[in-house]
Amino acid sequence: MSSMQRAKQWATFARIWHIYDAKWQNPFDSSKTIAKYLKGQHKPIYHPLSDCGDHVVVINCRDIALPGPEWYQRVFFHHTGYPKGGATWTLAWELHEKNPTKIMERAVHRAVGGTLLRKGLMARLHLFPDEHVSEDLLRHVTSQIPQLRVQPRRLDSYSEEEVRDFPKVFDYPADHVIR
Amino acid sequence: MSFKHLFMKSSFVKAPIQNGIGRYVGQLQRITVKFCKEHSDSKGVRDFIENQVVDFAKQNPGIVVYLKPRRHRAPHVKLEYLNGETEILSAKCLSERELRQWLEVARGSSGEPVARLRKMQHTDRPSIQGVWTPWTNVPPQTNLETFPSEEGYRAPQREQTATEKLRELFARQQEQKQLTEETTGTS
Repeated sequence: MSSMQRAKQWATFARIWHIYDAKWQNPFDSSKTIAKYLKGQHKPIYHPLSDCGDHVVVINCRDIALPGPEWYQRVFFHHTGYPKGGATWTLAWELHEKNPTKIMERAVHRAVGGTLLRKGLMARLHLFPDEHVSEDLLRHVTSQIPQLRVQPRRLDSYSEEEVRDFPKVFDYPADHVIR
Repeated sequence: MSFKHLFMKSSFVKAPIQNGIGRYVGQLQRITVKFCKEHSDSKGVRDFIENQVVDFAKQNPGIVVYLKPRRHRAPHVKLEYLNGETEILSAKCLSERELRQWLEVARGSSGEPVARLRKMQHTDRPSIQGVWTPWTNVPPQTNLETFPSEEGYRAPQREQTATEKLRELFARQQEQKQLTEETTGTS
């Protein structure tokens, strides 16, 4: 193999870094997309035997949006491994309070599939609760994964002028009491 | 090809140093035929020697042919190739015709041991336009971006939101109102 061919091979199999903003995103839908990037399935050269996955940095894990009633219905199971009561079941909102990146981690852990590659793939996932990423990680990032869901706008993001000019559908009567 | 051979190695399609591009070098260099002058196992080999071996040697000047009579031994042919590989072909009870056919096989062979082919095709030029890299077909303005980008990678709003619908409705209503005011004012 000539040095030119070798350089081409390196370029083809170069690992690149992606960033994903998890703000207002469903972690279970996002994890499927993220797993695809971790495994390299977004590449035309993908082959299950070739190690062609990328790194993914996920930011704003604290601001994920679980669908429907899942914050208080989805349960995460953990077992310490010891007999006689090593098992715990934690609700999603509880787990999120304890560790804001854990739900995303568990979702991706499930999405990458139960193969021997899982540990290596999970090592290339970097989760952050907010947008603060250390500079030595961020300098690798050359690509961003588009979000899956539309971010809703909250009232506090509208300027005062916009709120004032918004068409009023109805008005409370003068004697209306808001409790 | 089947994957069931325990000891068969796998390889890719290849030719010894571009053999056949420009000129062809026969890879079979030497054959040594050992046979018995008496035993019937060597009958086919003896017939081959009697009828064909001179012609074979004349037709293939690149191949050295040795004949070694060995008393009361099973006949065999040792095939030696340019790449250093040797192969022993048992000629026991082979007919003259069969032996000739096996020699034809050896004559065209590259000398590489028989292997399972992982792919049935090979090319030195996998792609004219260049092989894919992670930077192929990436829009060049990505170089100037700073990541994470706030706006550029949001999911697109495909349907009209209720807010937009309401605004539109309101705008139309205002227009209508203005129009009626104008008409009543002029008349």
